[in-house]
Amino acid sequence: MDTFLSVGIVAAYVAVLTFVALRARAARRFSDFSLAGRALPLALVFGSLAATYVGPGFSIAFVGKGFKSGFLFLAIGLAYAVQNILVGLLLAPRLRALKNCHTLGDAIGQKYDRKCQVVAGLISVGLCAGFAAVMARAGGVVLNDIFGLPSWSSVIVVVGVTALYTTFGGLRASVITDAFQFTTFAILLPLTLLWVLIFHLDGGAAAFARQAETATSVGFDSTSLIEIVGLVTAFLLGETLIPPYANRALASRTTSISRNGFMLAGFFSVIWFIVMIAIGVAARSIVPGGTDEDRVLLNLIKAVMPAGGYALLLVVLVSVVMSSLDSLLNAGAVAFTQDIVKPFTKLPDETALNIGRCATIVIAVIAAAGAVAVPSIITGLLICYTIWAPAILPALIIGLWSKRPRPLAAILSMGVGTLVAIMFQFVFPSVIDVPAIIPALGAALMAYLLGHWLEGIKSGA
Amino acid sequence: MEVITFAIVVIAALFAIGSGVWVATALVRAISRNRTTQTTLPQASDKSNHADI
Repeated sequence: MDTFLSVGIVAAYVAVLTFVALRARAARRFSDFSLAGRALPLALVFGSLAATYVGPGFSIAFVGKGFKSGFLFLAIGLAYAVQNILVGLLLAPRLRALKNCHTLGDAIGQKYDRKCQVVAGLISVGLCAGFAAVMARAGGVVLNDIFGLPSWSSVIVVVGVTALYTTFGGLRASVITDAFQFTTFAILLPLTLLWVLIFHLDGGAAAFARQAETATSVGFDSTSLIEIVGLVTAFLLGETLIPPYANRALASRTTSISRNGFMLAGFFSVIWFIVMIAIGVAARSIVPGGTDEDRVLLNLIKAVMPAGGYALLLVVLVSVVMSSLDSLLNAGAVAFTQDIVKPFTKLPDETALNIGRCATIVIAVIAAAGAVAVPSIITGLLICYTIWAPAILPALIIGLWSKRPRPLAAILSMGVGTLVAIMFQFVFPSVIDVPAIIPALGAALMAYLLGHWLEGIKSGA
Repeated sequence: MEVITFAIVVIAALFAIGSGVWVATALVRAISRNRTTQTTLPQASDKSNHADI
């Protein structure tokens, strides 16, 4: 009976999602596929941004962190909120103000030159495929938990459904379905918290505050200062303007919507972290102490919810995954078409649209295959953050703020940043105590300055 | 202090739910506008979709 109910709820969810995706309509032009016609209103920019960043890391993993270390991760998560607000104030409006700009690579190409655009495109596509593989794995884990399907078939179902609507609808479908998925989890997970606080918490407010204090003290005692610095750096810079966020900045109806969308998303992240961590804290009196961090939310829901509620919330977790996955597939496909193919050949609009669609499918296949190799959800995300920030941010941020940035500086910065991040992450992970993102960022900045100086000498400036 | 911590958590949950409702309203408006456009301009095939979302 429970299985029937679970299957029924999941089927109903998929039916509603399909309806919403169909209402978004198929993209007819490449500008619809890549930028949704540059017509997104504030609520959809905000909802889509929040739906994209609230992946398994900011839901399942944050509940686990609240369970183990109380509100420590709220302090670390504030760095993420600050990042979004700074992007809203300083970068998103400048990005949106660029003409004929579809991607970050495009922005880098306009500020530097075509070679830089291609390099940025390669990094964007690689990182989108990497992030998508992490999301595919997370989706596989959740579906596996609902139906007991083998992991590989769970991954195929999640990636297949997501790829289907993203391939045809492009960014428009991604944003519309993100809004639906955001609505689902932004209402149901906080309701779960209120349900636990009202009906399952013995001792009321005093007991909750005591649990929070104990867990937070344990968290601070068991985390070194250098670990906190590394985590704050990763949260501050790791996801800054990754391709799906940049696409939403570019697709906003106006520059002020672009700015306000990021700022609201930043403020919402604080609210969201409080809710997720509070669920983890409340779970301390319900879930056994030795529970694995990634299982706390699922075990809590199993313990406190009736069967239908459990299935409904598993659907919420599928939403969390799919809303991030669709954005990554679309962003990777747009970056491939705009930054890697278009610089070499003049494409008719229809051909560009078809290439974008094919690229969506190819990236989805790569993500599904790569999901097997992802070590764990959090580790996979941290690897992607470690590479993204040094590879792109120095060249992008300096480029957006300089009047005449020099291409050699961007090429060196992107190349050195990527190589140093990969080297410290995979080849010599234990050579230094600090997280790889810090030396890689330093190296990328030095390489930028060197390139700027060398090109200045070459041109006699 | 205990009550303040608890109150902040409850207010955060209500804010999150409010955000969900706000985005849901915008979503319904966006997809209804799509339907209206489709009904009134059934064959405006290659026109820009700028007003649709």
